[in-house]
Amino acid sequence: MKRFIEPHELARDSRFVRQDNAQATILAALPDDVDQVVDAFEKFAPAIEAQVKGTAAEPLFEAYGPAFALVTLNEPLRPNDPAAVTRLKLRMHGIFVGELQALEGAGRSLWDFPDAPWEFKMNMARQCWDEARHVQIFEKLLEHTGGEVGMFPESTFLFECACADDPALRVAGVNRGLEGLACDVFRDMIRYGEASEDQVMTQAVDYVLADELTHVRFGSDWVKAFTKDDPDRYKAAQDFRREVDKQFSFGGARSDREDAAIPIAWDDRVEAGFTEEELQELTQVSGEGPSRETLSEAARILRERHLARREQEATR
Amino acid sequence: MSEGRMYPGYGPEEKTTFDPYSAFDIPADLRELHGRYDVEATARRVRNFRYAQEWMMLTMGGWLATVPEVPVKTGLGKLIWEDAKAADELGKRLPELRCGRKAVNSSESPNEGFAGFIQAIADPERPDQTIEKLAGLIDVLKPHLVLVYERHMRETDTICDAPTIEILDDIVRKTQRHIAWGREVLDRLCDTDGKRERRRVRAEALGEQLRACGGVTGDTGDRAPLH
Repeated sequence: MKRFIEPHELARDSRFVRQDNAQATILAALPDDVDQVVDAFEKFAPAIEAQVKGTAAEPLFEAYGPAFALVTLNEPLRPNDPAAVTRLKLRMHGIFVGELQALEGAGRSLWDFPDAPWEFKMNMARQCWDEARHVQIFEKLLEHTGGEVGMFPESTFLFECACADDPALRVAGVNRGLEGLACDVFRDMIRYGEASEDQVMTQAVDYVLADELTHVRFGSDWVKAFTKDDPDRYKAAQDFRREVDKQFSFGGARSDREDAAIPIAWDDRVEAGFTEEELQELTQVSGEGPSRETLSEAARILRERHLARREQEATR
Repeated sequence: MSEGRMYPGYGPEEKTTFDPYSAFDIPADLRELHGRYDVEATARRVRNFRYAQEWMMLTMGGWLATVPEVPVKTGLGKLIWEDAKAADELGKRLPELRCGRKAVNSSESPNEGFAGFIQAIADPERPDQTIEKLAGLIDVLKPHLVLVYERHMRETDTICDAPTIEILDDIVRKTQRHIAWGREVLDRLCDTDGKRERRRVRAEALGEQLRACGGVTGDTGDRAPLH
């Protein structure tokens, strides 16, 4: 069995559909400019349409056009919001496939680095079991919210961004960047569960969040251990984590801004070993994307254009 | 309450009145001293066992991404952790067997043949090879380990080497659960004659390879049955 695999090699059963990672790349690099946001999404509209065809995201595409992701990602999730149920399923599905890739990433950390210290292997082995349980938990929660596996396309962006060939960068990206993001998302889901009085969701996600703090701690410890007495490697690991943080801020959707859809879980991250300095940096990096007003305006324009196109097609 | 002496004195008439029992009378202990393996042999075997447990854990870690069946991915996640804990416990036993404190991470293949067998177990990587992946692990390697561990527990000195027995006893119980889970999965996946034949052919080929190298300890006495 070879070491290091490409994201397209992640094996899936017949329920899954892939999503082109280009869409996530656009979101990560968007400037605070309505025209540029609109242009970027217009360019990828045919690809986005093709990917959602036949999935539960198709009605969202028909209603909002190629910018449906802006609506689903950038608006805070509240129980009484319009389309809250669909957006909840979309988020649950996104977390489910994220856990699947986190499981695969932890497993590959075992296989890809056979000469790593034994304690590292033990931590990664434990993470495999934890992520396996998380996959099971979110499959159940997806069903609990009325969804099903494969109802939305899966982006392998998480695996692509985080799985570096250097173990120091791998744990910086996966355990600190992505598991840190998981802390933010799960804290937000706990708030949602409490607001909707969904005790099943609240309790399950609370347990998952506890596991994620442990995984971030693994990352904090191993970045230090792998880069001990090697300041260049330490800098590379920190730079890599910053890049992952930037990519997964979804253009400011996850940030410390007042209009953030997913606020940074400050207290949880401190408990997991992030320093105040790192969190200040994350605040800056994640807040660089377009404002909510910019995205809302872009989404409005894109929706109008999409509906106009559909009307034109109908009259032909 | 007894009126006799509570503690022995210095003269023959100053004994306590408590009834005498040997260390093994209550409850009756029929164990006997002496086993097949001395300290050095047990340490070598523990390093061999650790080698198998560690490589199973690493191999399954690699497979997680290349197996399309979600329940197999999640099931392997648990096996990975339990095999890692098994390797860890075996490693902790090594310093107790005069291998030095740094020996906790020592794994050793008994010979090149067994190392080659382990690599052959790990070979399948395509998504359409879940049967080949699991057949090697579930039908061949894990049953072989259960057999060898149980034999070790029977043949080693049950008093002197009791710490090794305790570790192996726990590993065997968990490994039997792994086998039961894996066989259910394989039975479900092998739903045609063609697939059942793939499973049989794979297990037979690996079983031959295992027999040829003498198994996990390289000891011909540890040869494993196929199923």
